[in-house]
Amino acid sequence: MNPGEPILSVRDIRVGFVRADGTPVLALDGVSLDVSSGEFVCILGRSGHGKTTLLNVVAGLLNAQRGEVRVMHLPVTGPGTDRGVIFQQDAVFPWMRVLDNVAFGLRVRNVSRQERLRIAREHLTLVGLLPVARAWPRELSGGMRARVAIAAVFANNPPILLADEPFGALDYVTRRQVQAVLRDLWRRTGKTVLFVTHDVDEAMMLGTRVIVVSNGRIAEDRAIELPMPRSDDDVATPAGLALKHLLLHHMGLE
Amino acid sequence: MTFRSTGGPPDPELPRFRMRAGNGPPKGLGMQQKLVDALYTVAGIALFFAVWWIAASQLPRSRLVTPLEAGRDLWTNFFYSPRLGVFGLGKVGYGSLLLYTLSNVFIGLVTGGAIGILIGIASARLKLLRIFVDPVVLVLGTVPILVAAPLFLLWFGVVPFTQVLLVALYSAVMMVLFSQRAAQNVNPVYERWAMTFGAGTGARMRHILIPGTVPEIIGGLRITLASAWGLEVFAEILGAPSGIGQAIKALTNLSNVPGLLACVVIVAVTAIVTDILLVVLMRRVAIWA
Repeated sequence: MNPGEPILSVRDIRVGFVRADGTPVLALDGVSLDVSSGEFVCILGRSGHGKTTLLNVVAGLLNAQRGEVRVMHLPVTGPGTDRGVIFQQDAVFPWMRVLDNVAFGLRVRNVSRQERLRIAREHLTLVGLLPVARAWPRELSGGMRARVAIAAVFANNPPILLADEPFGALDYVTRRQVQAVLRDLWRRTGKTVLFVTHDVDEAMMLGTRVIVVSNGRIAEDRAIELPMPRSDDDVATPAGLALKHLLLHHMGLE
Repeated sequence: MTFRSTGGPPDPELPRFRMRAGNGPPKGLGMQQKLVDALYTVAGIALFFAVWWIAASQLPRSRLVTPLEAGRDLWTNFFYSPRLGVFGLGKVGYGSLLLYTLSNVFIGLVTGGAIGILIGIASARLKLLRIFVDPVVLVLGTVPILVAAPLFLLWFGVVPFTQVLLVALYSAVMMVLFSQRAAQNVNPVYERWAMTFGAGTGARMRHILIPGTVPEIIGGLRITLASAWGLEVFAEILGAPSGIGQAIKALTNLSNVPGLLACVVIVAVTAIVTDILLVVLMRRVAIWA
């Protein structure tokens, strides 16, 4: 892949559903976007406006009726190890210990036991969970399980990470802590991240670029030119506040 | 790529974990709770025997005897009971007859259960198979044992295979339903997550579907086991070469109340013991649940 070329390319995606009452709903209507390697793109929007649908199409978990998704020039035909996903729902396997959860991706790819456990321990250290490597997920808090999911996805080393409102169920303080963990890992590894959220502050705190999805279309696509890593003060600058007002406007608030 | 720890302040969530990570409450409290639970169990058993004793003291001996008399009959006839020989059961005692019943229950449950689990899980995933299996299971499940048992006796004769087949059939029917529901109850997010890690159908079956269904399947096995005991004894009463059901039939003909109660007690005790073994297995296999 040549430098500057998009690692992820979404072209003219259209996805429609039919509700139980027979009403057709257009979840995505002609969505196109390019994402360069190393970008942290936040997909922002209100509930039911197509953010998760877009992420599922990119993940290969949902087929589009029209359009194409390419990752490193190759068309996406289903889920793959080149795109790690963190779901909104707690997906950490309850029947595996924390260490085995983190090593799962490596296990299904037949990485030797010694090597996969080494990598898993390394990533548990990074998210601060090595002391609980032998614990069962039920023994962990929601924030800790979110960190297990992050460690598991990064341990599998996908070039692209897709996250669907992964911290939505966490309390404010825990959410901020887990956001910091994700941001640190992203900066260390330089992976490309597509992060779905409905929280403007979260998008502005994490993203290098923000895309607002409204009524199944891209309403705004803009780089966030604030210093990284960001503090609340950075977001509260005139430039930050102006961007926040713009994003809220596109989300239909102001 | 080399990683270093992010360092930073101590994790506020870790101390909470350490308190909980010892697999439950502190050791002393856990033992205390177990002791209380055991006392409740003993109290329940004692209450049962007390009610039995009081009832026996109020009724004529031809209707009900005390637990002590039933126990004495059990002890006397456990290894050899001459009165059973009269009914063509040979030189047997309650113990050997129970062993026959136990082995039939075990073989029937294992074979029927295994078939039921496989069909149940597969039908949860394959719609075509489900469309075919569901009505068959529904029809088989509604056939009363009073109809099925004589038919099986006519078809296969008075041989152990008849009882095993009966237990296996009903166990399979029950386990199809339990396993199908267990597989359908596994949260789809686990499979979706596994797919994003590159897990194919086989890996998802091994790492997601099987472990995810184990607790519910073992729960279903416990219910099926309890039913299997009843089925087996009933099938033996209707016609079998051996078994505790045959002893019950013979003792009913003799109007031997202590012997009948002794047989009921050993069947009940064995059923409870096998259920406890299943619970122990469940705790070992589904330690995470």
